[in-house]
Amino acid sequence: MIRRVRAAAAGLAAIAATFAMAGAASAVECPVKLGAVLPVSGPMGQVGERIAQTGQFAVELFNEAGGVKGCPVEYVLRDTQGQPTVGVDAAKSLVELEGVPALVGAISSGVSLPILTSVAVPSKVVQISCCSSSETFTQLAKEGKTDGLWFRTYATNRSQSAMAALLATKAGFKKTAVIYVNTDFGVGLANRFKEDVVKLGGGLGEVVAYNESQQSYRAEVTKALQGNPDSLFLIAFPVDGATITREWLALGGTDNLIVNNSLRSDDYFDAVGRQYLKNLIGYDSAQPRLPSVATFNELFEKRFDSPPNGPGLHSVFDAVTVTLLAMEQADELTGPAIRDAIRAVTKEGGTEVHPGPDGIRRAKELIAAGKPIRYVGATGALSFDENGDVQAPKMVWKLIDGKNTEVEYYSTEDIARLIAKLDN
Amino acid sequence: MIGLVAYLVFFLIVALIFAVAVLGLNLQWGFTGLFNAGVAGFLAIGAYTMAILTGPSREAVLGGYELPFAVGLLGAMLASGFAALVIGLITLRLRDEFLAVATFGIAVTIQLVCVNWEYVTGGTLGLISIPNPSRALADGPFAQNLIYLALVAVLAGLVFVGLERIVGAPWGRVLKAVREDETAAASLGKNPVRVRLEAFVLGCMLMGLSGALYVGFIGYVSPFDFLPIVTFQIWTMLIVGGSANNRGAILGALIVWAVWTGSGFVISKLVPPSVQAQSGAMQAVLIGLILVVTLLFRPRGLIGEKIAVSRHARD
Repeated sequence: MIRRVRAAAAGLAAIAATFAMAGAASAVECPVKLGAVLPVSGPMGQVGERIAQTGQFAVELFNEAGGVKGCPVEYVLRDTQGQPTVGVDAAKSLVELEGVPALVGAISSGVSLPILTSVAVPSKVVQISCCSSSETFTQLAKEGKTDGLWFRTYATNRSQSAMAALLATKAGFKKTAVIYVNTDFGVGLANRFKEDVVKLGGGLGEVVAYNESQQSYRAEVTKALQGNPDSLFLIAFPVDGATITREWLALGGTDNLIVNNSLRSDDYFDAVGRQYLKNLIGYDSAQPRLPSVATFNELFEKRFDSPPNGPGLHSVFDAVTVTLLAMEQADELTGPAIRDAIRAVTKEGGTEVHPGPDGIRRAKELIAAGKPIRYVGATGALSFDENGDVQAPKMVWKLIDGKNTEVEYYSTEDIARLIAKLDN
Repeated sequence: MIGLVAYLVFFLIVALIFAVAVLGLNLQWGFTGLFNAGVAGFLAIGAYTMAILTGPSREAVLGGYELPFAVGLLGAMLASGFAALVIGLITLRLRDEFLAVATFGIAVTIQLVCVNWEYVTGGTLGLISIPNPSRALADGPFAQNLIYLALVAVLAGLVFVGLERIVGAPWGRVLKAVREDETAAASLGKNPVRVRLEAFVLGCMLMGLSGALYVGFIGYVSPFDFLPIVTFQIWTMLIVGGSANNRGAILGALIVWAVWTGSGFVISKLVPPSVQAQSGAMQAVLIGLILVVTLLFRPRGLIGEKIAVSRHARD
C-alpha cells in the first residue's frame, strides 16, 4: 500500500515538474501585478474599503514615478468578505491565475493566517499585512514555518504590553489588576503584560477576561477587585470599556487606571465622566516626528480631501510601497527574491528615501546605481525583525483639565531598547 | 495554463470538502426533514478534534498527540457524532422551525466555547501547525495539492456511494416515510424518534469529517472559521443543488462555491481599478442574483429528488 502511494506521489510530482518547467521563462512582463486580499465587504467592509483605497493610492504614486522595472503596476484587489475560506481562495487565485509574486493582506489575523499557511508559504509568495496583530504569526515565524515570507507593517502587541508595564512600574504601583477583552488582541496583550510587569519590578493582581457587548461586567469587576489592587490595566474598546470603568469605580476600585490605545477616545471619556479619570494614564502608537510622515499626510489629503485618520491607512501605504520598492530592487519577480529585497530596502545605513513620486524616483535612481536605500515611510523607518515584525514609536497621554494631552514620547529606538531588556 | 490547473485543484479540494458537509445535511434535511441550522458547530467540533489529535504539542493547550491523519479523521467523526447524539437526544423532539432555532443556538454556543475555552481550543489565537499529510509525500504545492485532492475525492466518493446505498435500502425508505408523515410511519411500527436520531448523528459525523479535512488542508483552525455564514453557505449549496438527491448535493457544493469565489474573479477583471475598493458590494449582489435566478428557474434545485415509486406499484 505504502509503495503504491509513493509511486503515485512520484508520478504526480513528475507531472508537476513538467508543468513547472513549461512556465519557467522569467523575463519581466508588463504590467507587473501586485495582489491585495482585503475585506471590502462584510463586517470589516468599511474599514477594509478605506485600506484598499489607500493601497491603490500607493500604487498610483509608484506608477507616477514610472512603475516597477519600467512596467506599470497593476493592483489586483480581491475581497475576502471577512471569511477565511473566501480569502484563501482569493489568494490562491491571485497567485495561480494572476501570477502575483506578493500579496498584501489580510486584515483579520483569522484570515491572514490560513492564507499564509495554505497559500503564501507553499507557493513561495511574499505576504505583507497592514493590520494583523496576532502573536501567532511571531510564533509561527520562530518555528521556522513562514520561510521569512511573512511581514507586517503594523506594530505587534509586544510593545503595547511593554509600555503598559513601564507605566505601571514608573508610577510605583505594586499590584496591578488586569481586565482584558477576550479576543486574540486582548489575550496576547494580557499574557505578555503578566510577564513584563513582573520583570520590571511591579506586581500582579487578578487577571480577568471579559466577553464583548454585555450589559454589565459586575462579575468580572468583582473578581478583579479581589486582593485590593492599587491599579488597573484595562484592555478594552470604548463602549464596553466605559461600562467596566464605571462599575469598577462604583464598586470601590482605585482610579489609578492604565488603559490601552483603543480607549483614547472621547466616547470613552464622556461615557465615564472626565472628572473621574484624572489619574488615568494611557499609551498609544505615536506618529514618528519625521518629514516622511508629513509628506504622506499631505499627499493623502490632496488625493482624498481628508486627513488619513483611520486604522491601517499609514501601515497599508507602507506595506504596498515597500513591496514595490523591493520588486524594483529584486533581480527577478519571485517571492524569495522579493523577500530578500524587502530586507535590503529597509536596511539601516542605506540612503533614506521618502514616499511620493519624487521619493520613489530618487529611490529608483539609487537602486539603478547599485546604491543601498532605506525606505522611511508613512509609519517611519520600517525595521523588520527576524520574524517580520516591526516596532513603532509610542506616546503616553493623560487627561489634563479634561483634555487628552500627550505627556511623553518614546521613539522606535527607545521601544526597541525596552523590549530587548524585557526579552533577555 | 499550469496556473489554471493549480488553481482548479485548490478550488476542487475546498469545494469537495464542502460537499461532504452538504451530503451530511442532505441526509438530515433532504431525506429526513430535519432542519439543522447548526452546521458550523458540527464542522467546528470535527475541526478542533482533528487539530487536537494530530497537531504538535504546545504549552498550556490540550492536545499535541501527533496521531496519524486517519486517526484524526475518525476521531473527528466520533466526536461530532457523540455531540450530535447528546444534542439530538435533547432537541429532536422539536419539529421544524423549533429544531432550527435550537440547533442555531447550539452552533453559536459551540463557536463561543471555541473562543473562550483556551485550554482546549487555543482561544482566539487558534491552533497552528496542524500537519497536512500530503506535505510528506511530495515536493511543491501543486503535487501536494493533487495528492490531497485525490484523498478528498476518494473520501467524498466513499461517502456518496455509502449514502446512496443506505438511502436506497429499507432504512432510507423509513427516513422518507418519517419526513412525509411521521404518524403514518409510526402506525406501520417504525420508531420515528429513533430514525431521526440516527439520521441526525450520521449527518453530523459527515460534517465533522468535513471540518477535519478542512483543518488538515489549511493547517490552522480558529473560531473565525465557524461563523454562522458557513451554515448559510452549506444550506445554499444543498438548496441550489437539489435536496434529497446526493448528486445534487455534490453539484450544489461545486456550483455555489464556484459562484461565490468566481464572482470575485469576474469583478476584479471587469471593474476599473479606481472603483475596485467598492466592488465588495457588487460581488454580494452578484452572488445573491445568481442564487435567486437559479431558484426561480429550478425551484427544486438543479437536480431535484427522483420520484420513487415502488416497483410493485407498476403491475
